[in-house]
Amino acid sequence: MKQQTTGNIGELVLERSKHWLEYIGGARDLPPSPAAQLPSWFWGVWWALLITVACVFSGQASKFIYIDF
Amino acid sequence: MWESIFSRLYRPASKICLVGVVQAICILFVFKYWNFASGMLPTAANLQMHWKSAFLPLGISFFTFEFIHFAIDVYKGKIEGSDFWDYFAFILFFPTMVAGPIKRFQDFGPKLRQPSTDWVTDVHRGLTRILAGLAKKLAVASLMTALTKNLNIQAIATAPRWALLLWIFAYGIQIYFDFSAYSDIAIGSARLMGIAVPENFSWPYLQKNITLFWQHWHMSLSKWLTDYVYIPLGGSRVKPPRILSNLMITMLVSGLWHGAGWNFVVWGAWHGACLCIHRLFRTFRTAPEVPGTFGNVVSWMVTFSAVTLGWAFFCMDINTALFFFKKLAIG
Repeated sequence: MKQQTTGNIGELVLERSKHWLEYIGGARDLPPSPAAQLPSWFWGVWWALLITVACVFSGQASKFIYIDF
Repeated sequence: MWESIFSRLYRPASKICLVGVVQAICILFVFKYWNFASGMLPTAANLQMHWKSAFLPLGISFFTFEFIHFAIDVYKGKIEGSDFWDYFAFILFFPTMVAGPIKRFQDFGPKLRQPSTDWVTDVHRGLTRILAGLAKKLAVASLMTALTKNLNIQAIATAPRWALLLWIFAYGIQIYFDFSAYSDIAIGSARLMGIAVPENFSWPYLQKNITLFWQHWHMSLSKWLTDYVYIPLGGSRVKPPRILSNLMITMLVSGLWHGAGWNFVVWGAWHGACLCIHRLFRTFRTAPEVPGTFGNVVSWMVTFSAVTLGWAFFCMDINTALFFFKKLAIG
């Protein structure tokens, strides 16, 4: 019973984590709970971070693998 | 343009639709499989037939599947009264034309006619998706190249086993982040125009069996193969041996679609065999329907290992891949 409960909590945490990642990755329109909408400043920081990461690592990229198919 | 014009002749239950399917397959065959097929002929014939300056039109595998979908769905009466310009926009929709996601006209047409008007959400979500895709591609997928470039016969010959496992694991990470990043950019670009296109990935590496893996990896291709290959062959409504052969044929088509080479055929057969084994396991298992945590972890590990090792046939030619497995097994 205890193992089942731990498993359920684990599943719940995993599902919520996936939902959050999809939300900040742009794949979902809403966070897991609609009340937890992220503020505008967060998106400004997040976009700046993503742009920085892209710029830092750009120049060493190969082409997309599936372009050849 | 020719496809758009020719498609105006399609009518429900008309043989012209089947001509359209054959035409699309023939064009794909000439550009993609001509040299692969002629390579199977005796040497003299092969030399005569070989197309030296062969080239692969960008995205041909993807838009061919959209052509076939349209012809078959009009034949079956699932698409009625399509407009020339709607179909033209469907096949030339630049975000998805080169490498998918593979769209369906029934989904795309209405969105083209009435795109979303919530442009604030569309631009916000679209830009976030594109930036996330760029970061995934540049910071993760491309970084993995440092490891995956070693997947060649010279490096494999001198590498310890742990390095072989690390390199093939890195390839699994690379191809996921590479292709899902491309899909993110394509889906995000479409979203900027107020058009939602199908998703392609949904946490495939977290799935606990190979069937679920294929329901979450390159989903638009899996759905296409299910609808236009697996189900027409009889799907799961036939006797068990036929189900297994249907699974195998579908995955062989998938393998061959990915590339004109024996390594892709073997990669397809590998996944076909995995799906067949899973099907048999489901049929004969005596364990409870809902496994516990330990069962879930074991299922995930087996699935992840099968998929990861299978990438060997995807990223290396057949001889190199076999050498890789020989080195992995006996050092």
